[in-house]
Amino acid sequence: MSLTPSQWAALLPLILPALGACLIPLMALDKDQATSKWIRVVMYGTALLAVGASFWYLTDLWNTGAQPSFHQLRMDRLAQFTGIFVLVAAALTILQSWDHFHQEGWVKGETLSLLLFSVTGMMLFASTSHFVVLFLGLELFSIPLYALVGTVRARPESAEGGMKYFLTGAVASSCFLMGGVLIYGLSGTLDLAAAALTLKAQGLALDPLVLAGAALLLLGFLFKVSAVPFHQWTPDAYEASPHPIAGFMSVATKGVAFIALLRIFPGSLAPLGTVGVKMQAVVAVLAVATLVIGNLTALVQTNVKRMLAYSSISHAGYLMLGFVAGTPAAYDGVLFYLVIYLAMNMGAFGLLTAFGLVGEKTTFDDLRGLGWKRPAMGISAAIFMLSLAGIPPLGGFYGKYMIFRELVGTGHVGMAILGVLASLVSAYYYLRFLVALFLQAPGAEAERLASDRPAVHAPLAGATVLVCAAIVLAGGFLQTFLADGFARRALVDGLGLIR
Amino acid sequence: MTWLNSHPLTFLVFAPAILGFLILALPHALGRLSRMLGFMGALAFFVLSLAWLLGHGGGADISERAPWFTLVGLPVDYALGVDGLNLWLVILTTFLVPLTMLGTWDSLKDRIGTFAAMFLLLETGMLGALMAQDLFFFYLFWEAMLIPMYFMIGVWGGDERRYAANKFFLFTLSGSLLWLVALLYLANKAGGFNPAIMGQAASALPFGVQCWLFIAFAVAFAIKVPLFPLHTWLPDAHVQAPTAGSVILAGVLLKLGGYGFIRFAIPMFPQAALHYAQPIAILSVIAIIYGALVAMVQRDIKKLVAYSSVSHMGFVMLGLASFTVIGTQGAMLQMLNHGISTGALFLLVGMLYDRAHTRMIADFGGVAVKMPVFTTFFLIVTLSSIGLPLTNGFVGEFWILNGTFLSGFSWGRLYASIATSGVLLGAVYMLWMFKRVFWGPENKDEDSGTHHLHTDLNAREIAVMLPIVVLIIWMGVHPRTFVAVSEAPVTALLKEAKAPAPRTFVLKPAVHEAPAVPAAQAPAPREGHAAEPAAHEVHR
Repeated sequence: MSLTPSQWAALLPLILPALGACLIPLMALDKDQATSKWIRVVMYGTALLAVGASFWYLTDLWNTGAQPSFHQLRMDRLAQFTGIFVLVAAALTILQSWDHFHQEGWVKGETLSLLLFSVTGMMLFASTSHFVVLFLGLELFSIPLYALVGTVRARPESAEGGMKYFLTGAVASSCFLMGGVLIYGLSGTLDLAAAALTLKAQGLALDPLVLAGAALLLLGFLFKVSAVPFHQWTPDAYEASPHPIAGFMSVATKGVAFIALLRIFPGSLAPLGTVGVKMQAVVAVLAVATLVIGNLTALVQTNVKRMLAYSSISHAGYLMLGFVAGTPAAYDGVLFYLVIYLAMNMGAFGLLTAFGLVGEKTTFDDLRGLGWKRPAMGISAAIFMLSLAGIPPLGGFYGKYMIFRELVGTGHVGMAILGVLASLVSAYYYLRFLVALFLQAPGAEAERLASDRPAVHAPLAGATVLVCAAIVLAGGFLQTFLADGFARRALVDGLGLIR
Repeated sequence: MTWLNSHPLTFLVFAPAILGFLILALPHALGRLSRMLGFMGALAFFVLSLAWLLGHGGGADISERAPWFTLVGLPVDYALGVDGLNLWLVILTTFLVPLTMLGTWDSLKDRIGTFAAMFLLLETGMLGALMAQDLFFFYLFWEAMLIPMYFMIGVWGGDERRYAANKFFLFTLSGSLLWLVALLYLANKAGGFNPAIMGQAASALPFGVQCWLFIAFAVAFAIKVPLFPLHTWLPDAHVQAPTAGSVILAGVLLKLGGYGFIRFAIPMFPQAALHYAQPIAILSVIAIIYGALVAMVQRDIKKLVAYSSVSHMGFVMLGLASFTVIGTQGAMLQMLNHGISTGALFLLVGMLYDRAHTRMIADFGGVAVKMPVFTTFFLIVTLSSIGLPLTNGFVGEFWILNGTFLSGFSWGRLYASIATSGVLLGAVYMLWMFKRVFWGPENKDEDSGTHHLHTDLNAREIAVMLPIVVLIIWMGVHPRTFVAVSEAPVTALLKEAKAPAPRTFVLKPAVHEAPAVPAAQAPAPREGHAAEPAAHEVHR
């Protein structure tokens, strides 16, 4: 079988990380990998190279405007957007994990390999509307993540979190599969776009089985974005996983799931108009629940990682509000929000590594006074937290602004009021992070312990934090570039949503 | 220099922030240098603001406007302007910042460089909010202002600083977030954030909707003022904030609430504002009396001054609710008065606290013997706060009461009479406090505050108080200097509010329609996906 250049072009962005993922275990065969520094450097270098090459290739594709495809895999602008999004998150994760795993004393090659497989799966997941390819992508990115959550086997909590995530995730995957089977059974085709047209032609658009199938598909997506009531795995999984992996999950999993949701529901299944409207109603109800439960539960957390987990749940709520508005501009807002959210959350989790908090020592009390000791990290933390809370002039504000504006514009004033009240509540727990960093002096015991410990050395994580802070700031001042030049073009060229 | 000549306002607004970020980048060890740098910078901004804003024969309108960006179909302008309504508030801001820095030179021991930086960032926020002529732009500054103030209270404040800082932040945020929804609603109808166009769009909406929008605007501003019953954050914030924070909070931040009413809420929703004039007046009168009564029973001088702010700002709101030129002009002047007098009171209390390390009235007595110069300044400021004729306080309150009395509202005379008793109560709590602290026999107790007073004001502190005293007398004797520029805009604004010119504004249809769609074909607002099949074409 020979491939045309265009088909190669569609496949190459996926092949590169997969190739990296296959090569790294070969280097990790040496049982001394934990002690031999140069092997570690080569492994991390290979991972970065794979990610970087794929990123470079995708930006090149983006700039030329080409949208190649390989059978059911469409490397269109939306998929390229997703690829760039995921690869940036992966690069930040790899850099942070170098520091984090050294702090934990647990440097293993397999984590990098799993991460790269997950990246491949995510890019696959967001670039197709064919059900089998979709499911393949879903599993390819989920299974490595289950393992990654439990990767630090030295800690029992880690395995527990990984197991919880795996069991709930497996149920969600089987629901997703069932949804696809129902639609396939009625339409006779696995391509969801073609299935929608067939079902419409057969007058089955309102068939209860179609509705059930669509609802099960939706459930699969909502599990991955950790929307209430499918959110219970989130805090446990984040708490158990290494910080960079938690950051990667919170950003990339949520991001690709939302983008794939966008591709399937307003995109492929659009011919089944009524189904879309009904699913939108479901999303509206769940968005309200997500905002309320996510924010209120985050208020009472004492562990920063659990707080960030509930915060990521509540951010899923804001993004779902974009789907409630359901206009092209709202989807533009969703994509814009995702870009800023990537920087905010990768930055926030990166801070934990940069501050050298290992294991379970991630409570608010462990952060006390650190903002003054590490001013650059402290200022970045202020930028992330205020941006997560949606305070202007930072990037997070513009994301919320775009979504709320469309909500109000489509007549959902009540939802918009609920949304702003939710972000009012969220301001409190984000401020708590800053209170610990700046307004509280460390306890005497902590001071003594800190003076015994060697100084924290996390230059790579620190650098990623600064990069993320720069992106969040840029989101506040280059908002039109991101929203119109990047997110909007992904929608226009990729999905044909705006013309 | 040509850039500066065409962009003086941009420079004034953003130069403090740039200096602030520079100072943040300096190492901690250079705190003293940072403080000096911050002060010199703030002083330079004050001189420049005087030269640029008053230079052309006393306040010609200056404005800068350029399209900034268009997001989700709504254009946002980069629009700064100084005119009669905000000229003196801008100058008050640039004046108070260096003055406060000088007045609290030695009050703080820790992280003085960072404090100076926060102060300058706050100055950018305040000046930007005062000058912004585009509502989105205004909102950015309005919210961004919270961040430095939050840290000023939270890091350098008193024992309960974390509670006070959080309360301040969340209270203010709650009002402005709901306001944001109203703003978005109206911007959708108007197709942009230009206040004039939004006002026209508002007048085309049903009256009930106008009322809701006005309430959303009014609540956001009333929290800042603060108007009873939304004032509860103020005493906490004031008492816990460091002296400099309290001065700026009272001097400028509260003014932004009143300014928001006169710049945005009243001109944009004149009918709704008239409709709600009485409720606002009722709350103002309650604030005047209640603030005074609560101030009377305070044991902490700073808390007393904080509650006196509630009372004084009540007068501002009463003046605005009178819808008369004299009342509104009185409110404009009262805002400046309160900035000067209450700011000075907080500075003086801070000076006393730096020496005695207590602010409890009971800990003092006979301070006049130990600190005669301090007592003289305190007395002058006290009298101005009470509203003695020939000081600034008198003119503002007199105009406001006069305007309310003659407002022509059925309630005007009654409310003016009740509010007048607030002036009396003001004299009671201020003079009673003054008597207990300064007069009487010297408090000889070892632990008392008076015992720890060793030095009178030094040259630096006198240099801070002298310009304030000059202003107090100047504003009392010749207030026209400060209100002449606002007379024309206020008159026009009230004329427009009471007898609106017929407007012919056509509400835009859903603005996010693609421009390619002809207006005639524009469908009704969409319900989800169903009504917009064409936009969801699937690529294959």
